[in-house]
Amino acid sequence: MFGRFSNAIDALLAVQQSVEAARRNDYFDRSTTYRGSYPYIDLFQKGDDTVLTVELPGFNKEDINIEIKDNLFRISGERKLDYPEVSSVHRVERRNRKFDRTVKLPVRVDSEKVSAEYTNGVLKVVLPRAESDKPKQIEVA
Amino acid sequence: MAEEKKDLAVNEKKEIETKKEHTTPLKRYLPATDIVETEQELLLYMDMPGVDKENVTVKLEKNVLQVDGMIETKPYSELKPLYTEYNIGNYTRQFELSNKIDQSKIEASMKDGVLSLVLPKVAEMQPRSIQIN
Repeated sequence: MFGRFSNAIDALLAVQQSVEAARRNDYFDRSTTYRGSYPYIDLFQKGDDTVLTVELPGFNKEDINIEIKDNLFRISGERKLDYPEVSSVHRVERRNRKFDRTVKLPVRVDSEKVSAEYTNGVLKVVLPRAESDKPKQIEVA
Repeated sequence: MAEEKKDLAVNEKKEIETKKEHTTPLKRYLPATDIVETEQELLLYMDMPGVDKENVTVKLEKNVLQVDGMIETKPYSELKPLYTEYNIGNYTRQFELSNKIDQSKIEASMKDGVLSLVLPKVAEMQPRSIQIN
């Protein structure tokens, strides 16, 4: 990480960047899921279902993979940016990024009934709670 | 000398901070943009996830290109947030165009949350190879 630096400002900036990067990932946390990673995920509740949304603009549907087992949700994919024959690049803020992320869901999911749709660059996954995971009401006799 | 290595930071959504106050309730974000130039045109690609084609406005006024994308909030109305890492909001960004651009021929298209703008260069700015006799 700290090689030889041509000037002091660069060295200081690199230190700051490394500290920030270390804070961003959860190496020092006790969580099992890796939070500091891409893509960002939102989780919502809708009745008994859990709804997960991810912003993935400019992806091909075929390049997004979802895997579910019990309460583990894995999403992986790659965005392929294809520009025409370019003579110069002025600004690059979007990334040609490959990702693979696994998150732990708050409930176990019935993987047979999971549905996903991709509209306007947002992936929405509806995750119905597994019957075995639902609380059972016991009537008092 | 040894090569200096720098880690690439995770690209977070950039929220816009302005002194002006807005009348719409949502946050405003700066869409991540790539700008590339070919011999004939300037190409802009902007990430605006969650924005429908109908809700994008591209305005051109006095060399300033203003792009606004309004997000569809309806899908979120029945959802109760459990855990959130990102926030949603409208997108807005301005670009100042040089007079190299043929402003009457700008084209825009939207697909999968990515807005593509094609800004053609005026004819006399395009490179020309000159024949030597």
